[in-house]
Amino acid sequence: MNKLIETINLSYCYKAGTKEEVKALEDVNIAVWQGEIIAITGQNGSGKSTLARHFNGLLTPTTGSVLAGGMSTNLKENIREIRKIVGMVFQNPDNQLVSSIVEEDIAFGPENLGLPQTEIIERVEWALNTLKIEEHRREPLHNLSEGQKQQVAIAGVLAMKPDCIVLDEPTAHLDPRGRRDVLESIVRLNREEGITIVLLTHFMNEVIYCDRMIVMDQGSVKMQGTPHQIFCQSEHQKEQLHKMGLDYPVASQLAAGLKLEGFDIATDIIHTKELINSLCQLK
Amino acid sequence: MPIEVINLSHSYKIGTPFEHKVLHNISLSIKDSQFVGIIGPTRSGKTTLAQHFNALHIPKQGKILIDNEDTADKKTDLVKLRHRVGYVFQNPDYQLFAPTVGEDIAFGPSHQKLHRTEIDKLVQESMHQVGLDFDTFRNRDIFALSGGQKRRAAIAGVLACRPKVLVLDDITAGLDPRGREEILNVIKDLHQNQKITILFISNSMDEVALLAERIIVIDQGMIKMDDLTRNVFARTEELRSIGLELPEVTVALENLRSAGFHLPNGILSVDEAIEAIAAALQEKGAHH
Amino acid sequence: MELTKNITLGVYLPGETIIHRLDPRTKIIAATILIVMLLLSRSYIAYAAVAFFIAMIIVISAIPMGYALRGLKPMLPVLLLMWIFQLFLFRDSDTLVLFNWWIFEATEAGLHMGNLIILRVLFLFTVTTLLTLTTSVVSLTDGLENLLNPLRKVGVPSQELVMTLVIALRFVMILAEELEKIIKAQMARGVAFDQGNFIQKTKKIFPVFLPLFVSAFKRAEELIIAMESRSYTGGKGRTKMKTLHISRADLTAAITILIFTGLMIYINIATEPFI
Repeated sequence: MNKLIETINLSYCYKAGTKEEVKALEDVNIAVWQGEIIAITGQNGSGKSTLARHFNGLLTPTTGSVLAGGMSTNLKENIREIRKIVGMVFQNPDNQLVSSIVEEDIAFGPENLGLPQTEIIERVEWALNTLKIEEHRREPLHNLSEGQKQQVAIAGVLAMKPDCIVLDEPTAHLDPRGRRDVLESIVRLNREEGITIVLLTHFMNEVIYCDRMIVMDQGSVKMQGTPHQIFCQSEHQKEQLHKMGLDYPVASQLAAGLKLEGFDIATDIIHTKELINSLCQLK
Repeated sequence: MPIEVINLSHSYKIGTPFEHKVLHNISLSIKDSQFVGIIGPTRSGKTTLAQHFNALHIPKQGKILIDNEDTADKKTDLVKLRHRVGYVFQNPDYQLFAPTVGEDIAFGPSHQKLHRTEIDKLVQESMHQVGLDFDTFRNRDIFALSGGQKRRAAIAGVLACRPKVLVLDDITAGLDPRGREEILNVIKDLHQNQKITILFISNSMDEVALLAERIIVIDQGMIKMDDLTRNVFARTEELRSIGLELPEVTVALENLRSAGFHLPNGILSVDEAIEAIAAALQEKGAHH
Repeated sequence: MELTKNITLGVYLPGETIIHRLDPRTKIIAATILIVMLLLSRSYIAYAAVAFFIAMIIVISAIPMGYALRGLKPMLPVLLLMWIFQLFLFRDSDTLVLFNWWIFEATEAGLHMGNLIILRVLFLFTVTTLLTLTTSVVSLTDGLENLLNPLRKVGVPSQELVMTLVIALRFVMILAEELEKIIKAQMARGVAFDQGNFIQKTKKIFPVFLPLFVSAFKRAEELIIAMESRSYTGGKGRTKMKTLHISRADLTAAITILIFTGLMIYINIATEPFI
């Protein structure tokens, strides 16, 4: 497997070189592997958004470097190519949609790439189908729910055929159905289209669908591993996660409680399915 | 201060090609010191309904009585009414308009012809209630607050008017787990210790399940359910069919049930769930 | 409290009428011709002709008349004020004095200037509103971009200008909705927007704009970042999903507008001003 994105000793300061300098990232060394779905989590202000914005060169390191598709974001001439590889979806769909009609907005990215007309139409079609929003293609955006708008935003990025999509808290302002639909789309893009996904989120029930996760706090990476490793029931781990303001997924909480009650249950449960398996073995 | 809604209907953009009806014949009543969750998909009309409670919308069809006062009555003093029924918006930036936290919280009481010392006392008390330290935050710039602190300041600004009812419109959206927990603790405390009626609009089924004693489900401008929290979340299929999800614990227990565990209905918290699963396991003779 | 209800500029009312289906370039050129003629005309008969012409367009495009004119409502107080100013302050050497009031005198020339300004503003606004009501923002952009393309050669960043316009139009509604929410949020805290006299009401409006500006800037910033990550680097090198086509309807429209232009020129030459 390839490293699609890699940060090397990345540090970043807002207003660098001035008196109001604020350190936002400190010595971050992580990699995003081709084909994986990785979660970045941490409290508001932990630096996860700042980190994500380095992945496609929206921000460039104060010191250190970021490689996307093997190209350094420090070099201006690479940025255009990098943005073809790494697409980005933001929290508020209203602030990222340019046009007011669904299919026209999805075409915006491919149009910027200067693709021939037939290819733009093909890609828009494909993106509409992949996100299952064909029926809304001619609709004005303000008729759609927030969840549907967010699907349009994802389709708009997808139509640029990136290798990787970075999503910055895409579900934070959605209703429950919208949240579920968007999560399903994200997972589907990864499993069926092979697109690498970087998901920034506060919701542990989203994190458990990821292959790996990174926990950030105060501008640096505090933990890295699979959700099973991170949510293991060691006292030390519990204390650390609590300190960083993170919850355990519900299945983990249930497992931990039952363990306390004296039942012999696995200590790395994160999915309800695993809890059921573990409970069934008790019988 | 009871709230009574009688046959309320509401339409937007009346007289334009975009006219649409958002509330159909809503009737309900809310007793003192209740904690009511209001849930429904986006655009179900829940916010429109809630904005009627403090006269941000005045009924054209139907009636709303707040403490037996008709909000459509010309004689009703709406400013006073809005002080008694506080409304906290999802986005705190809309509601905060003074430069510092202290000045902002003082805004409501300063329009009530109170003495300076009384106002100060109200500000201090409300800041205490939401867990913002008076000396630390009184002169703090509004823009320098974090997301969670801003929301608490917004709540304090409303509390300074001494409301009997508090309408909270999706106030935890976008907060991280710790920020959520802090806000929810404030709300719980206001309900339990100050006996304030809470109308809690939320997109998080988990929060509603944990806090509310009664839930009103709204879909397409109509009341679909109005019942005790346990009873509402027992109607899983109906909730799903109108596009709502279930609290995570409820979903987990549902899965356990279909795997053959005998678990009672209406469990809403992790602790209750653990107890019930433990009981079911012992019944099956699993070893401790 | 429904601000968005009275906003018609920038709103698109989808439809399938011949007016809706016209090539956006035809509509933009026609609107421009109409506006130019409005600014040049000084004859009331000419304005009556324009009013008739606009009414026909409204009927053909199946837009409810009340809705098409709704956007004028919020402007009326300002227009009335302008009319009074013109009536009393416009000076011309040999004009009839209509009546005196305190130190002011109302002249016939002032009356005509007042009327003219009101008519021009009203029609200007209606023509632009009609254009946006029957043309989606996207085809409006395509049309404008296409028409302004020759200007690129002399260094005018036409595509960027058009993009700015598109985004501005998209945000009119979002910001109006937001303003509504802010006003409500402040009303909820006891600001009585609905009480007091005109000056008191105006004073209360100011604190509303601070949060609106803050939010508008935040939105703009986020939008720029989003556009940047979608590889937008200005108009250069962009291609288009849709291309524009001239149809028979466009020819009919062009002929109609030409005949109407001729008629207007004739009216203005044949009649004295202010008749």
